[in-house]
Amino acid sequence: MDASSQYLSTDRPDRADHLWRYTPWKKIHPTGKISDIPSDFSTPHISLKTIDGSALPPGISLTSGNTISEGLPVDEKITRCFLEAVTEESKFTLTVAPRFKSSVPIVIEISTGGIFCSAHICLDIGKLAELELVTVVRGACDWFGMLRTGSTGEGAITSDVVVNRLEHGNLLRVESISIPRDSQFKAGTVSSGSTITKADLRYRMFQPGGNLNVLGSILSAREMSLDHHIEIYHDSPETFSRLNWNSACGGSSRTVGTGMLRVSKGSNGADAAQLFQNLLLSRDAQADSIPELEVSEHDVVGCGHGTASGPVDQEQMFYLESRGMSPNESKSTLIAAFLNSTLSEMGGDKMHSWLVSELDSDLNELGD
Amino acid sequence: MTGDIEAREAVGDYKAGWHDPENATIRFDFGLSEKVVRDISELKNEPEWMTEIRVKAYRHFIERPMPTWGNTEELMEIDFEKVCYFLRSSDQTGNSWDDVPEDIRNTFDRLGIPEAEQKWLSGVTAQYESETVYHSIREDLEKQGVIFLDMDSGLREHEEIVKKYFGSVIPYSDNKFSALNTAVWSGGSFIYVPKGVHVEMPVQAYFRINAKNMGQFERTLIIADEGSSIHYVEGCTAPTYSTDSLHSAVVELLALPGAHIRYTTVQNWSNNVYNLVTKRGVAYENAKIEWVDGNIGSKLTMKYPAVILKGEGAHAEVISVAYAGNGQHQDAGAKVHHMASNTTSNILSKSISKDGGRGSYRGMAKIMPKAENCRLNIVCDALILDEKSRQDTYPTMEVGNPTAHCEHEASVSKVGDEQLFYLMSRGHTEAEALGMIVNGFFEPFTRELPMEYAVELNKLMSLEMEGSIG
Repeated sequence: MDASSQYLSTDRPDRADHLWRYTPWKKIHPTGKISDIPSDFSTPHISLKTIDGSALPPGISLTSGNTISEGLPVDEKITRCFLEAVTEESKFTLTVAPRFKSSVPIVIEISTGGIFCSAHICLDIGKLAELELVTVVRGACDWFGMLRTGSTGEGAITSDVVVNRLEHGNLLRVESISIPRDSQFKAGTVSSGSTITKADLRYRMFQPGGNLNVLGSILSAREMSLDHHIEIYHDSPETFSRLNWNSACGGSSRTVGTGMLRVSKGSNGADAAQLFQNLLLSRDAQADSIPELEVSEHDVVGCGHGTASGPVDQEQMFYLESRGMSPNESKSTLIAAFLNSTLSEMGGDKMHSWLVSELDSDLNELGD
Repeated sequence: MTGDIEAREAVGDYKAGWHDPENATIRFDFGLSEKVVRDISELKNEPEWMTEIRVKAYRHFIERPMPTWGNTEELMEIDFEKVCYFLRSSDQTGNSWDDVPEDIRNTFDRLGIPEAEQKWLSGVTAQYESETVYHSIREDLEKQGVIFLDMDSGLREHEEIVKKYFGSVIPYSDNKFSALNTAVWSGGSFIYVPKGVHVEMPVQAYFRINAKNMGQFERTLIIADEGSSIHYVEGCTAPTYSTDSLHSAVVELLALPGAHIRYTTVQNWSNNVYNLVTKRGVAYENAKIEWVDGNIGSKLTMKYPAVILKGEGAHAEVISVAYAGNGQHQDAGAKVHHMASNTTSNILSKSISKDGGRGSYRGMAKIMPKAENCRLNIVCDALILDEKSRQDTYPTMEVGNPTAHCEHEASVSKVGDEQLFYLMSRGHTEAEALGMIVNGFFEPFTRELPMEYAVELNKLMSLEMEGSIG
């Protein structure tokens, strides 16, 4: 059965499922008619480059077509099938050779256009590779669907950051990544674009020694609705994960952070924690968090989660203002510091400077 | 009979698992229908408006699907046609234990209720199957205007108050099981505390299921008028059978301005009882509602005590502990809705799972957009004692006002080897050491209990821990 037929034969998702509680499928579907699979999808322009414009090092390439990875997490059938159906003609694979190393972060630049646009990007990262990767989405399409699947290589060390800079419109982003033996994977999300975002991000450590760090810096302004769902699976002994998700929420926007941390039986020595923090910046802003935890293994180092929501600290504001900053400058500084606590963990200095420069204008808008 | 012996062996040391011979004066056939609902109402000679509510609730129950969240597998095993919805064991409610039929009196003697009443309670209601068999209240409280009745008497004697508040906090349409309770409710407590009256000693209700395949659907309504206070304690047990029983209660609390209600539950149903309960309170200006909730027994518990903070300065406190042993799923939690400004809430949840048990915390905390300067703190701690067991947490936090300060933290871990080693190096056996650690883990709950309950709970937990090492 092809992806379209699978989509059409799949039961519609239940609103009781916390993945769909806040942004139901109907709301993020391109036309709102969930039995539709529009045919007029365009392929975005995708390019591979280094962050500083220097030549690409050997051992990395972006080609058409896709690869199949092992150990992927269980995904939500409805979105997976839909995106597979609409990305038949826009599949790309990023291939990274074993032992690849680059001192400069690599960028996958995606320029969207038209009404509906979509892409499926597979990550095929070789053993013991070390790289920092940024996937940045730009443009002005009304609806963009991005499916990212793949696996890192055994012993690889990867920073993988996705930056949403869409000018408006809706973004559906589905990610399904497997993390094998002794691999370290940093998954960053920087989101300051699109009007509605629905992201379903899933990571699975299926072999011993997997190490995962999921980081989010979310700027939500105007009437945005940014809904991120993150599932982390510990399916093997001696695995480690951390999730730190910071959202700054202004205007009449809404952020949703839902997490599921699953530690399966037999994953002894698992060490897992997740933290969602929300900064509420205006009267009409709203932030919702659901950090869920299912632990079926008793011999764990520890499994925990937390969430906190609150306004900008008035004592910190007073401190900065007493040093001569205006209220707006003080507020912008504190918001930047809040978001920077996760942003600075996403990669090295070069990547950090680049990410900060990308976000500067949006930060100023939130501080106003 | 063989089935009963097997069931008793399966639940081990559950000491309230005996049953008396069934001496029903009225027993309905198994199964639920509109006729059953109308018959219950007619038997109780209820006013028409109550019959109408029951019938509407029944129709809603029939139409409403089972929840699609939680332990849906176990929920689907409930056969509503194999439940007895009404069983009367005594033709009267005694206000002296001498008036209670001997076998029932013996049961409550074994459970220690009359003794506790003499020592430290202001009043007692004892419910056996569908109805209250014993009820008493201290004279001085009665003179101060405190009303403490079983719910059936409350409806008869104070119809206007019941009509005003019944279903005002939990309407029948709230969920499938509140609809079921509203349709077939029987027994429970009705309490009204007048303005400014403080009931110093707790009042207690004790619920006992004796018959096989029994459904118990008590309905409790507590109204604390302005500036008053009351502490209500409820306990429950049931015999161990190889077939399932159903307990589906509804508890509504109203704390009017400045009032304080503490509602303590020690749930110790046998492991063949489905415990699907809806509990909710409304706190007005500067009122305080506390749920102190212990879940030790039952097959499946789904219970999330809730507080709606409706008046400025109101406060909610939920302390809950759960123990999930073999074949048990304790799906417990709390809900708090901050509707007014300057409201505060604390939720503390402690859970232990052992021998394949599953413990879940499920919570909802909501700050409404117009509620300024609210504070909310949630802490969930869980211990998994062996490789067969499981713990989950499903908290939801929705913050709609930027002045709110909200925190939630949860952790799941095992008992630390260092803690065990320390206690064993002081001469304790492993089982004793584990019992002490577990009692210490539950201490924030037990210190809120009346002393007699706390001692009993500690003994119970130590007993549960025996043989859990290795």
